[in-house]
Amino acid sequence: MTREWWKHLVLILGALIVIAPFYTMVSYSFKSPGEIDRGEGGFFGRQELMVDEKCVKLRDPNRDDIAAASARFPGMDDNAIRKALASEAEADCSMRPAVYNYSQAFTQAPLLRYLANGVIVTLSIFALQVVVALPAAYALAKLRFWGREAVFGLVLFCLLIPVHAVALPLYIGLAKLGLTNTYAALVVPWTISVFGIFLMRQFFLTVPDDLIDAGRMDGMSEFAIVWRIMLPTAIPALLAFAIFSVVAHWNDYFWPRIVVTGNRDLFTPPLGLREFKGGADGSMFGPMMASATVIVTPLIVAFLLAQRRFIEGITLSGMK
Amino acid sequence: MAGLILRQIAKTFGETRVLRGISLDIADGEFVSLVGPSGCGKSTLLRIIAGLEAQSSGEVLIGGEDVTGVRASDRNLSMVFQSYALYPHLTVGENIAVPLRMRQLTAAQRLPVIGSLMPGARARGREIAGAVSEAARTLDIDGLLERKPGQLSGGQRQRVALGRALVREPAAFLLDEPLSNLDAKLRVHTRAEIAELHRQLRATFVYVTHDQVEAMTMSDRIAVMMGGEILQCAAPGVVYDDPEDLRVAEFIGSPKINLLPADVGDGGRLSVMGHPLDLAVPSGARGVRIGLRPEALVVADAGAPLVGRVVHFENLGSDLFAQVAVPGLEDRVVLRASPRMRSSLRLDATVALSFDPAAALVFDGAGKRLRDLRRPAANRHREAVL
Ligand SMILES: Nc1ncnc2c1ncn2[C@@H]1O[C@H](COP(=O)(O)OP(=O)(O)OP(=O)(O)O)[C@@H](O)[C@H]1O
Ligand SMILES: [Mg+2]
Repeated sequence: MTREWWKHLVLILGALIVIAPFYTMVSYSFKSPGEIDRGEGGFFGRQELMVDEKCVKLRDPNRDDIAAASARFPGMDDNAIRKALASEAEADCSMRPAVYNYSQAFTQAPLLRYLANGVIVTLSIFALQVVVALPAAYALAKLRFWGREAVFGLVLFCLLIPVHAVALPLYIGLAKLGLTNTYAALVVPWTISVFGIFLMRQFFLTVPDDLIDAGRMDGMSEFAIVWRIMLPTAIPALLAFAIFSVVAHWNDYFWPRIVVTGNRDLFTPPLGLREFKGGADGSMFGPMMASATVIVTPLIVAFLLAQRRFIEGITLSGMK
Repeated sequence: MAGLILRQIAKTFGETRVLRGISLDIADGEFVSLVGPSGCGKSTLLRIIAGLEAQSSGEVLIGGEDVTGVRASDRNLSMVFQSYALYPHLTVGENIAVPLRMRQLTAAQRLPVIGSLMPGARARGREIAGAVSEAARTLDIDGLLERKPGQLSGGQRQRVALGRALVREPAAFLLDEPLSNLDAKLRVHTRAEIAELHRQLRATFVYVTHDQVEAMTMSDRIAVMMGGEILQCAAPGVVYDDPEDLRVAEFIGSPKINLLPADVGDGGRLSVMGHPLDLAVPSGARGVRIGLRPEALVVADAGAPLVGRVVHFENLGSDLFAQVAVPGLEDRVVLRASPRMRSSLRLDATVALSFDPAAALVFDGAGKRLRDLRRPAANRHREAVL
């Protein structure tokens, strides 16, 4: 009993450590700048009306505005009208901090565009990875050819190379081809996933040889076997790989930051966060955390939906 | 439909020689069984014919054409695998349709969604559906077409595997122990179905099994394989009654043939247990053994060559097998009797057994059959071909 208790305590502590940054992110996305600075207001903040200074400044009345508004405020001099307009603007520009943060997230930066870019890039990467990995894994698992073990050794070796080590040569290559600041630059370097080849090979080893021979007897070419037999039987493994791949590339900040310079139309969601990084008037933590929340939400929803498959997939590849 | 010719097929895996020069002519429309103990290379030979494995030397001819180097998918053969190998993600109907779809539809017509919109795809699709439902009717699985293989019993899966092979009209059918996973009753039933199908289709069948009853009941010819060689290939009756080799005689027949050591006396005259027989072999033969099927032995009066004690009975209903321990013989002698004899063959009773010398199969020390036999005493000049 006591031992169980300790286990749970350790696990709870671990979970708290992992959850803490998420808690802060979500909490900040609801709070006003003042509350964030002073660290008060609990999880939701007090949600008192706050005034968006920028919005007010934008509506600062000039001479024409005052002249146009004079009809609405009869018998007032210009100064009084200016004051009335200013307080009107202030009333229009005041809102709850949560609304402010999230509307800033979507208006200050084209967050929807970034999300769309994220979807395009991650899905293209995954599709191309499958197109490359399935035939390669099939050959490594089921075909007998000279040098197969050596090739598989190379695959394992490539698993050991960190992406940062090859980033520079890759960047130079892409730059020479004139491909920087394109979708291709975001997608092409990732189309060969040695992890995917490895994972699918391990899975294909468990597919009985007779099934493949049956395909041959039924008149299938080797490629037809890959797409008509191996792919459908490998759906669980493929799903696990999809989660690894999509999570990695959706969250990737490093590579997009390198190959996308300036062209905001190509920004992926993590790059979008930079829009709120501190300038002269300090960082806008509220909107920044709001966009961070928006960015991770699709992944969390997908994870919850595929939770069982995800865990299955990890045990299948024998990894933690 | 076509005949198959195998010429000096040899296969080595690394250092092990699995096949040692197999030659076999299979006529168009013939049903040939390959039988032999486990590991003798039956599946390997079948896979070489199919093109799934490359032979180390020798050649395979299908319909007179050398197919060395031709891919399995281009050899136009159908195969039923020992493990059934049904596509787990397809329904029974789709499984059976695969060979037709792969061979009769163009690549464009096979595309997932737009394929059915291609010109001619509809008509072809209807043809295929017709062929599938006909094959399913023949094998009595037309109620299962919508199910996945995982939802079927072993026997049903086996029929689906047969259906997938039989839906086409290939040059030949190759079946690798297709009944091995069935229960006894279903096995007998399906055995008859396959034999029936063979008669209907008049197609070439190569049927691998280690069950000799299957081989005996279904085949035109049986090829007995052992240690990577074909010892004898002949009609079932011939293999049983007139084996070329001791190993064939031992492998075919259940219960096993009785083997008695024989002494060679003057003029080659044989004697068993010191009891001279009416048989003589050419002089010089050594280590001679006599093979007697259980039904060749009869219960006789005292003075017969074999006298022993009944130690065990096996009553199969239609037949009664009695095991008799004969002093001086290592193995028990098995006698087949009709159940009516039950009363006279009590346990522990002493029985005398004799046999007709004409029914005896004589083998030399190397296990080769000795056919050059004579009757020694009375008709020394007359040669009896047994
Ligand atoms: N890929 C392989 N590599 C090495 N040895 C093999 C290979 N395939 C088969 N063998 C060996 O070849 C021999 C014949 O195998 P095969 O499968 O043809 O036997 P079989 O007659 O079909 O036996 P069973 O009745 O048990 O199916 C066996 O000794 C087996 O170990
Ligand atoms: Mg076998």
